[in-house]
Amino acid sequence: MSVTATTAKPVSTRVELEINGVAADVRAGLSTTLLTVLRDELHLTAAKRGCNQGVCGACTVEIDGVPMRSCLSLAHGCVERPVRTLEGLLETPRMQALQRAFAASGAFQCGFCTPGMLVAAHALLAADPTPDDAAVRRELSGNLCRCTGYARIVAAVQDAAAAINASGEAAS
Amino acid sequence: MSAVQHGMLWPRTVDEATAMLADDPDARPLAGGATLVAMMNARVLEPQTLVNLSRIDELRGIRGEADGGVRIGAFTRHAETAACALMRGPAAVVRQAASKIANATVRNMGTIGGSISFADPGLDYPPAIVAAGASVEIAGPSGRRRIAAADFFVDWYTTALQPGEIVIAVLLGAPRMGGGAYVKHARVAGDYATASAAVCIDAAGPVRAVIGSCGSTPVRDDDADALLSGDRSDAAIDRAAALLEARADPLDDVRGSAEYRRLLIPRLLLRAVRRAEAGTDT
Repeated sequence: MSVTATTAKPVSTRVELEINGVAADVRAGLSTTLLTVLRDELHLTAAKRGCNQGVCGACTVEIDGVPMRSCLSLAHGCVERPVRTLEGLLETPRMQALQRAFAASGAFQCGFCTPGMLVAAHALLAADPTPDDAAVRRELSGNLCRCTGYARIVAAVQDAAAAINASGEAAS
Repeated sequence: MSAVQHGMLWPRTVDEATAMLADDPDARPLAGGATLVAMMNARVLEPQTLVNLSRIDELRGIRGEADGGVRIGAFTRHAETAACALMRGPAAVVRQAASKIANATVRNMGTIGGSISFADPGLDYPPAIVAAGASVEIAGPSGRRRIAAADFFVDWYTTALQPGEIVIAVLLGAPRMGGGAYVKHARVAGDYATASAAVCIDAAGPVRAVIGSCGSTPVRDDDADALLSGDRSDAAIDRAAALLEARADPLDDVRGSAEYRRLLIPRLLLRAVRRAEAGTDT
């Protein structure tokens, strides 16, 4: 193993990730975040770089099946931890119901926060299939939207929950 | 030991981790990343070596001990602590503090060891674990030690950790009858506390009242605790709040003026004492 001086420029090394069920072999520096790898190397651009400080939620993805901040996750720290981005969730009935409800309700304007909102809401509906207004606001409080004032987002999540529950009843 | 390694290191035991940190004074321990990676993104820190603590089994999870105490491993994420039924009675204060940190997504990432090691006075855990009478277990090059949570927080962003040491667990004593409450006042959901109050009432013993975000470390006062242990009338709570306020040294910042924070102390203390008495978990 070669040793670099501490003054050396950041070195990129190989890292094997699992993104949306597919192995991704990329190069990343120690300080390179998962978000940077997703957007700049793999061109999975649903996750957005907003604050880059873990405050805004626009970069939310699932890691180990749980929503986390891809901007606060180092690429090298995601080895052996399956990552799922919005692109990898598009086929689930839950996400499709959420997307339909967001579109029908006008739950976005500029759209920058929407991918993070959808990933967070997807996890919320898995844990709580019938969230009340307070539960949606609490669970999505880490996703900032500067356009909508949130009312339509909260309504859209509840509309999606109702649609999923209705289709489940129809199927059974 | 061979030459210093750079990059992401993956110790499997506490001893391996502390050896790696001792080998390279510039190496940083990485837990959930919620604070460290944010500081790297802001270029406040540019470590060449990170000692990733996520694969050390000993640091993970919450378990009951033989003596009835509760051991919260340093790598336990806030979401797990917030959902843990082992923290009952006065110790519920720790669970409530965990549930009020940041937001749901960050609670899936951040860990109790990382949080208290950062020791920002605006954090939710420090006043809660001091009120709970918790101790902090530390490992380092010269072995393991335990210290009281009240002695762990030394100054702004400064703990009793020595170079090469890491937190390995937060220890709560055996469950007691009584109640605990953590009351947080913040500008908006997910923000740091403008001020907070953590209160533990042990039905058979003392009361501990601690104020957060009003000084370099959690604010406590022995006379205030003694007063509340004997008398929890509104007037007594007011007198205890005055004793705590005399110990407080709040700053003016974007979350509120020092004067505003001082005004919050009696109000938050009253609310926390009443909630702890009621034992309502909110």
